[in-house]
Amino acid sequence: MSSVDGSGDAGKWLDAHYDPLAGLYTFSSCVDLADLSGDGESRLLVGDLGSGSSGMKLKVYRGTALVSESALLDLPAGLVAFFMDLHEPRIPAVAVASGPCVYVYKNLRPYFKFTLPGLEVNSLEQDVWQQARAGHIDPPTLKEMLEGIRKKADIPLSVRSLRFLSLEPGEIDDFVQLHEQQPIRRQTVITCIGTLKKSTADEDGVSCLVIGTENSHVYVLDPEAFIILSKMSLPAAPTMMDVTGQFDVEFRITVACRNGNIYILRRDSDKPKYCIELTSHPVGLLRVGKNVVVGCTDDSLQGFTQKGKKLWKAALPAPITTMAAMDLPTRGFQAVLVGLANCEVHLYREKNLLGTIKIPEAVTSICFGRYGREDGTLIMTTKGGGLMVKILKRTAAFDDRDSAPGPPLAQSVRLNVPKKTKLYVDQTLRERENGLAMHRAFQMDLSRLRLTAAKAYVKALESSMTPMSSSLSEPLKMNAVVQGLGPSFKLTLNIQNTAACRPVINLAISFLCDESLYRMRNPFMRIPLLVPGLVYPVETFVECTSDKGISDIIKVFVLHEGKSSPLLTAHINMPVSEGLTLN
Amino acid sequence: MGLFDKLAGWLGLKKEVNVLCLGLDNSGKTTVINRLKPSNAQAQDIVPTIGFSIEKFKASSLSFTVFDMSGQGRYRNLWEHYYREGQAIIFVIDSADKLRMVVAKEELDTLLNHPDIKHRRIPILFFANKMDVRDSLSSVKVSQLLCLENIKDKPWHICATDALKGEGLQEGVDWLQGMRKVHLIESKCVSV
Ligand SMILES: Nc1nc2c(ncn2[C@@H]2O[C@H](COP(=O)(O)OP(=O)(O)OP(=O)(O)O)[C@@H](O)[C@H]2O)c(=O)[nH]1
Ligand SMILES: [Mg+2]
Repeated sequence: MSSVDGSGDAGKWLDAHYDPLAGLYTFSSCVDLADLSGDGESRLLVGDLGSGSSGMKLKVYRGTALVSESALLDLPAGLVAFFMDLHEPRIPAVAVASGPCVYVYKNLRPYFKFTLPGLEVNSLEQDVWQQARAGHIDPPTLKEMLEGIRKKADIPLSVRSLRFLSLEPGEIDDFVQLHEQQPIRRQTVITCIGTLKKSTADEDGVSCLVIGTENSHVYVLDPEAFIILSKMSLPAAPTMMDVTGQFDVEFRITVACRNGNIYILRRDSDKPKYCIELTSHPVGLLRVGKNVVVGCTDDSLQGFTQKGKKLWKAALPAPITTMAAMDLPTRGFQAVLVGLANCEVHLYREKNLLGTIKIPEAVTSICFGRYGREDGTLIMTTKGGGLMVKILKRTAAFDDRDSAPGPPLAQSVRLNVPKKTKLYVDQTLRERENGLAMHRAFQMDLSRLRLTAAKAYVKALESSMTPMSSSLSEPLKMNAVVQGLGPSFKLTLNIQNTAACRPVINLAISFLCDESLYRMRNPFMRIPLLVPGLVYPVETFVECTSDKGISDIIKVFVLHEGKSSPLLTAHINMPVSEGLTLN
Repeated sequence: MGLFDKLAGWLGLKKEVNVLCLGLDNSGKTTVINRLKPSNAQAQDIVPTIGFSIEKFKASSLSFTVFDMSGQGRYRNLWEHYYREGQAIIFVIDSADKLRMVVAKEELDTLLNHPDIKHRRIPILFFANKMDVRDSLSSVKVSQLLCLENIKDKPWHICATDALKGEGLQEGVDWLQGMRKVHLIESKCVSV
């Protein structure tokens, strides 16, 4: 008993059993659970497809052990357990559909074989075989003639003739010898099988078998006499089927067909009542409550009402391998298990993903129900033939919250927006009525502001009155600091070359001031080469010659040799001289 | 427990033990308890227990009150209401039901982690029942699968039994009585 770890839903499922080498090759349609011995302990019934050409078997598991296996003659198309009589103890029979027959087992022993009625045989085909038997034609001629019939006949050839046509030349003589004596039969095959309660809805009520066939028919069989109770026809060959109701009262057969449509048959008509046209082919069909859930090849799961109205659609992360219903009547829980090619089994209630189970291999069949004595048992077979059994914990609870990634919850929370005030409403009204005028007034003011700004800028440029040089070749910045109380002041001019890398040369500074008030020590100074980025302090002394306590501005010009207009102009507001003249 | 009862317990006068009989449905709890009763009181037909039933009987010096709980899933949540009264636990396992060994383990773990059990040195007797069934697991295998070696703070004992024939039951009951004596001695030591 090995346990498998890494399941995303480890909190909900107990790993009861995993045998990767069980050698079970089957699909969900060939798996069922039933209390075969009436001891309250359910067994697992598997129609094993073996290698596909040999080793087909009906296998029965009890707990972790294989307790019985019997050979099947043909590939199983479906397996169901059903009550065929009212005998006590209530032990169900097992029906295995394969080829054109339904094999019924009672107490795991072959009990009855039902064969579908034969189809009309091509009379030409019959004639040529007759001639072959009489020795009128030899096998190669027979082959030629059958070939001809196959090409133009409207009634298709029998399986025997088709088989004969596919043989190698060396084998045909033996084949004819072996088969020529037997009458020709043409038969269709069963594609799906289900059960339909006869007249009561009881859990152990007698059930009819419902079979779908390759030639697009659905038959309902009487459980005791195995006669055909009802025959219905479909527009295409059925592939999957879900049956609900009681034959004598009212029933509903939902059939997925090979043309990609789903048809719903009712008791009162032998033709489909409703049709669901899907955009891609169905690969799984289940009923949950009154709704139909369909898995499609476009990696989607879709829900429909029983009248075919689409309810929802959920996108899946990988292609579907198989599907099964998860029904827990004791807890009132119904959901759908979807096996995916990415080695996960997803659990959906409607379109909400409730949980994910990770499996070491992709699953080929899923079956959920009472196994042994445990009601919530999940049985899966894997691609490599493994058998895995998980048991739902007694305390497991599924909340309906969708665990699939999507918009966060907060997105749907309504914001508490305050009510609109009277003022707000009035303003809105005003804006709505005078919108044009308001826009014009705004545009006019904006244009005026721009004009004023432009004028000021031009004026500043014309008088070169900015402490920033606008010349591109000599970008300069300057600020001035006045120190001292007077009458002597120290004037420091900090000059910086703001160019990225080019030094500036041939600059000079001159001052302009009221000669009657100030005396500059050096009214004209040369500036050394200015390296970019560094701040050069240029110092000079100013003497205030007036003792009347008045002050004036001193203008500073930064000049370039050979140019008449200054690069920079700055006005220095001189402070009032507070000191006494020393001399 | 009243003061008098306590006093009687310390003095070793009280010889009554409340035993909880737990385990999954169909493990054989009722059959086991039926076998422990004197032969003239044994029932012939045993049906699945509904809810729980109380059985009283004497074995040598002790008188037992056994709570035979139903093991069915829908009744298992009743168990915990009796944990407080229980002075010993008999946990019955169907050793032929390999599939549900995980379920038995899950229920045992839930029991051991319950606040009314977790911090008590309550003795647990495991019956690996149905040893007569072909392909049933040995008691060693059962204790492995249930991880009994992880129970460090409680005395426990496992024995293989066949409740239909009554085999193996006495060994378990003797162990339980031994535990009871140890318990009484411990109590006396404390009181001195
Ligand atoms: N072969 C065999 N069968 C046993 C043994 N013990 C019990 N049984 C059978 O197991 C079945 C269930 O026994 P019960 O005693 O009813 O089980 P339980 O644990 O009380 O079940 P619930 O009351 O439902 O919880 C009965 O059919 C018993 O005859 C045993 O040791 N060997
Ligand atoms: Mg019982």
